[in-house]
Amino acid sequence: MVLEINQLTGGYSKEPVIHDISFNIKSGEIIGLIGLNGAGKSTTIKHILGLLRPHSGNIKVMDTAIETDVEAYRRHMGYIPEAPILYEELTLREHINMTAMAYGLTPKEVESRKEPLLKRFRLEDKEDTFPSHFSKGMKQKVMLICAFIVEPDLYIIDEPFLGLDPLGIESLIELMISERDKNRSILMSTHILATAERYCDRYIIIDQGRKIADGTLNELRQQTGLSEGTLDDVYIQLTGGKRHEQ
Amino acid sequence: MSSKLFNTRMEEDIKIRSYYGKFIFNSHFLVFLMIAGGVLLYTLLGLRETLSPSIYIDTLCALLMAAVLQPKYRTLLKEADMLFLPPYEKRMTAYFKRADIYSLSLGLALPAVTSVAVLILLSIGHNLTSIVLFFLMAVLLYFSAFNIRRLSVNTDWKKWAVTAVLIIINFVSLMLVLIQPYLITLGLLFIIIFTVIMKKSSFKTLSWLNYVQYEKEALQQYYQTVSMFTNVKRIDKAFKRRRFLDILLWEPKAEKFNKKYMYEYLFYRSFMRDHDLPMIVLRIIILFFITMFWIGNLYVSLIFSLFGIYLIVLQMSQIYTAQAYLLWPKVWPVSRTYIQDSYIRYSHKVVFVITLLFAVMFTITHPDKLYYVLAFPVWGYILNRVLSKAIYKKERELSD
Repeated sequence: MVLEINQLTGGYSKEPVIHDISFNIKSGEIIGLIGLNGAGKSTTIKHILGLLRPHSGNIKVMDTAIETDVEAYRRHMGYIPEAPILYEELTLREHINMTAMAYGLTPKEVESRKEPLLKRFRLEDKEDTFPSHFSKGMKQKVMLICAFIVEPDLYIIDEPFLGLDPLGIESLIELMISERDKNRSILMSTHILATAERYCDRYIIIDQGRKIADGTLNELRQQTGLSEGTLDDVYIQLTGGKRHEQ
Repeated sequence: MSSKLFNTRMEEDIKIRSYYGKFIFNSHFLVFLMIAGGVLLYTLLGLRETLSPSIYIDTLCALLMAAVLQPKYRTLLKEADMLFLPPYEKRMTAYFKRADIYSLSLGLALPAVTSVAVLILLSIGHNLTSIVLFFLMAVLLYFSAFNIRRLSVNTDWKKWAVTAVLIIINFVSLMLVLIQPYLITLGLLFIIIFTVIMKKSSFKTLSWLNYVQYEKEALQQYYQTVSMFTNVKRIDKAFKRRRFLDILLWEPKAEKFNKKYMYEYLFYRSFMRDHDLPMIVLRIIILFFITMFWIGNLYVSLIFSLFGIYLIVLQMSQIYTAQAYLLWPKVWPVSRTYIQDSYIRYSHKVVFVITLLFAVMFTITHPDKLYYVLAFPVWGYILNRVLSKAIYKKERELSD
């Protein structure tokens, strides 16, 4: 297993935001983490990254828990936040260098890996520019380049398509598929269900801090009785429908 | 209603000022101020005995006063006010009146302290009437400069342009009073003309964007001043690329391209590209050098050098604080000890270079006491270790 979450309960303060969440990710899977605003997706991601301490339960990445070896735990993960977080004082090249140094890449590996990524995201002539002067979409591309250059076992992407132009979205999807083909895994939280439906292998649906469904689209269709339903229909049935009844 | 809103904000502002005031005016700084003040007073009184009246002394006095007669204007407006307050614009008179009174009180300390030094210098060759008229004019200039500054916020005038014109008016007006007391009328005329220009340039309604932006800059300026003495959490860090400094920013070779050196790589860039930090360091060095050279007293130079190094080391630590709490150091697979090790390596090198600069300044001022400068790098090293440990301790406590 690339990621194993067992009975995770946690949050920002003593009051838990997520309750008893368990799921796994195997190698070569793209998993959609889906939920309404405030459902607990970002909190779950922060727990996986080790930014929050679980109240109970445990998380393992490539069989390593963060308490056992924090560096080894993090080395297997690449993270792309929802809003780009950049060093205003560093150029694009320096951002790539910092990430590469953190993950133990050699200068040669950096050179060979960065060219195709810069080309793919059309930033090859911007290496010496401060990304803080870029548009929001371009900043997000910097985050993507920094994560994909590392080639980790698990990518954690929070709202991957936010702020990207159509070409950027296409490039990202191609890249995600190519990484899956290399047996790497991706956990992405998203609201754009139509895109998620086309590329995710499995979905974990969170509502009010609890996991309410986990499975492929067909399994979710069976669970909701919507045999021809889209992911949108399934999602509404699982979350909105229940709330309307209340 | 609107005055109540201002009072609440004023209380918040006073709380922030007293919070940082405790850190700035700590016992070390108070001792330094007392020594520096005493030495300055002693030197000025000595000069009073030895100097004879001259146009240069008058020019210096007028220049000093012209520079410090720059009242602050703080409205304490917030960004959200742009959305919520415009419908109440006509009922905001009480708010702005309270803001005027508060702002006037904020800018008094510097002109008051400078007045003492100027008074001593003016007593060389000027009679009482002339001195009284000079200070009357200074008071008048302070209030009129405040009025002009306040009006200028609601115009297209740039802040630096208003400041430049005010300094010129202040200087010319004060200088004219010293040359011929009757010329005070000319000074008054300048003030009236500039006030009329400002009134004519004012927009018909409040430019909320201008007011909010002005307040934001004033607040940042306050935090920047405070950050010279202590860490300020709320300051917005701004960076600027100085290409001519890029030559000092090494690209790591293969053996240093790893987690052990990555933060050192970052810290040098943060320092060199920080919008204010290199300039603050430069200003401290130049200001202290001028003072040391002017006073020429061995012990004063020694105290100023050690205090200057202390101020700069204190400044350096804000880079660690700014970087250590960001997201990436918590996500990257790099132990926090590497951040601390990198910081100590980087800061020791920078502090060493700065102590060398102070050593050169000290040697120029007191060439016969060269051996004193050996203490500077040691002092810088000890300070850096002690202050860094304090930051790490605070960081540990926060993470627990």
